[in-house]
Amino acid sequence: MTELRDARLSRVQFFRMMGGLAVAAAATACSTKPQPTGSTGQGQASAVELRFVGVADQKAPMDELVAAYKQAKPGVTLATSFAPTDQVQTSLRTQLGAGNAPDVHVVYPGSGSAMSMDQIAGAGLLADLSDQSWTQTIPTGFKPAFQKDGKTYIYSAGSSVIGAIYNKKVFQEAGVDAPPTTWTEFLAVCDKLKKAGKTPIALGAQTPWVTQLITYALVPSTVYAKDPTFDDKQAAGQTSFAKSGWRDAMEMYLELQKRGFFNDKPNGTTFEQQISMVATGKAGMAIQVSAVLPDFRKSAGNPDDLSMFPVPGADVADQVWIPAGVVVGLGAAAKGKNLAEAKAFIDFLGKQENINRWAKAIAAIPLTQDASSTIDPAVQSFLPFTKDRAVPFMDQRWPNAEVQPVHFAVIQDLLAGKIKIDDALRKMDEAYAK
Amino acid sequence: MTMTATPVGRSTAAAGKPRRRFAALSPSWLFAAPALVVYAVVVLYPSLAGMLYAFTDWSGIGADKSFVGLANFQTLLHDEQAMDSIGNTLLLTVAIVVVQNAVGLLLALGVHAKLKSRALLRVIFFAPVVVSPVMVAFLWKYIYNPDPSAGLNGLLGVQIDWLGDPSLALWSIAATVVWQYAGYSMVIFLAGLEGVPKELHEAAMIDGASTLQRFRYVTWPLLAPALTINLMLSTIGGLKLFDQVFAATNGGPGYATETLSTVLYKQAFVFGKFGYSTAIALVLALFVAAVSLVQVYYLRGREVAQ
Repeated sequence: MTELRDARLSRVQFFRMMGGLAVAAAATACSTKPQPTGSTGQGQASAVELRFVGVADQKAPMDELVAAYKQAKPGVTLATSFAPTDQVQTSLRTQLGAGNAPDVHVVYPGSGSAMSMDQIAGAGLLADLSDQSWTQTIPTGFKPAFQKDGKTYIYSAGSSVIGAIYNKKVFQEAGVDAPPTTWTEFLAVCDKLKKAGKTPIALGAQTPWVTQLITYALVPSTVYAKDPTFDDKQAAGQTSFAKSGWRDAMEMYLELQKRGFFNDKPNGTTFEQQISMVATGKAGMAIQVSAVLPDFRKSAGNPDDLSMFPVPGADVADQVWIPAGVVVGLGAAAKGKNLAEAKAFIDFLGKQENINRWAKAIAAIPLTQDASSTIDPAVQSFLPFTKDRAVPFMDQRWPNAEVQPVHFAVIQDLLAGKIKIDDALRKMDEAYAK
Repeated sequence: MTMTATPVGRSTAAAGKPRRRFAALSPSWLFAAPALVVYAVVVLYPSLAGMLYAFTDWSGIGADKSFVGLANFQTLLHDEQAMDSIGNTLLLTVAIVVVQNAVGLLLALGVHAKLKSRALLRVIFFAPVVVSPVMVAFLWKYIYNPDPSAGLNGLLGVQIDWLGDPSLALWSIAATVVWQYAGYSMVIFLAGLEGVPKELHEAAMIDGASTLQRFRYVTWPLLAPALTINLMLSTIGGLKLFDQVFAATNGGPGYATETLSTVLYKQAFVFGKFGYSTAIALVLALFVAAVSLVQVYYLRGREVAQ
């Protein structure tokens, strides 16, 4: 038996061996190199492939519209990939940082996230879309979400609302005939549902973004109905979370918990469990964004059992305001190789018929409307508010990406009874000031 | 060449040591060279180049960045959340190191015994190791369902909010990590146990040593090298724990399960503070290296020379 250690190999032999290996490796590399060039060079000289990276919420409308674009422009194909927000944020920011961003990619409206229009356009990485005709019809109230320094950098098909997604059957069984229109009525409905043995409000606060929705649903009534210029004043340092109706909204949030209107242990409950509770009739409603209505419908035995109503955050019906935010959109990479084709695709999405198709797929209110626009029956009850009693989602005007995660964390801490409302608002004010 | 010739060969080589002038050209280094070159290009160079970002205010995107000196490190010292996360990281690490190795050792002793099904049991205990940590975290999210009739609560007949209670969430995550990696520690201990000579046990038995005494005075000292490896690997794993926390709680509820790794991830990819995040990563890397070196130094001291 011999051991490898004892097998003698002179240095000269070793170098010969390594040299031989290197030559062999180089020869293999050279012989394989030309092959791919040969195969791609066949026939498709004029074909353009655009790369798109988006979030999971965009899959349904993009699948439909990419197929339509293929028919309209056969020479251009789109390679799409979708992932949950966190993962997209990680991979896209890395690609943006390395200078190899996809031609078209997800962009969040406004300024409050690390993937927001304001931050990416500010770094010079988004193409200016202002010369496209659809940008001329963006409603004035939505312009801050789409534009930076007067130029449009993001396409979005419309707006979604935050309200209560409710199970009509459960409401009927509990003896609730019509959705509530004031806060007192809302509490009474919850009480009825509770007495009927149902969880009035399913809350999946273990999923961070779900935590914010109840405050977002209430703040339009407790803050903006009283002072529509709150955002500007807060930016100017004249007011703060702690000095505003944000305190009322958080008190109302905790009142719901104190009265036992949430499921037990909301901090341990996920978004998926929240959906299941409402869809299966275990809970009466969930305060959610309308864009996830299709997910709730998919889980329900009968999708028609589910509908939505605005959460009344005030005791006088005409003081009830709603949150209506521009839905997550997309933009074109400013330094992309196929910039012209990428912009052409976005221009295609900007056609009224395609705005309608995208909006329909996610139960959103189309950005602009014509005779063929349809609005999901579930969000019809929000339409009277959209003209003058609606405000964008709060984070879309926040100055940095830190406020929103702090909001998530303080809500979880409040629900756990770990901190007081004062601490929560102070932490949010500190994050806002960074 | 036969086995008997080996020591002669070795001693000759040892005697020849002083005449070796170009150690870097010895076959062992040259064999390692291709791997070292790849390692240097793929790991070392990017890591060292990346360290420079710790001294800038780069946002992670765009070309704008300026040199800020040690400002990021000063921010870290005053960052309440990062400091809390260090506490969480240390608690998690201690819990994981102690429990994972204790369970691993017990499993190893169990499957080292002459059981009929020991091969099958070894596979079963090791199986979770090969599953992706993210998948394990998602799986345990279902097991940790707070509903009293579902998951672990249903099985135990209790009503515990495993991941939603801020005072419990950290330990629930530690339990998932232990569940997944106890099999890994087991395998290393098992290798150590296989190396304990039977003759020593027989001699101890003849001397009248009890099972416990044989473990204490024969097995345990000879397991020292396995213990060194296990403690070091589980400490490093615990200090840089990310996947399980990120998938199970994302640092919540509140900041209850935030670790240094999740904080640095959020600073880079959620808040867009790449420079600051790199500074945290650098501190973490130095800390892990320091702890590992101290650990190896002390544990090697108690290893039995064979």
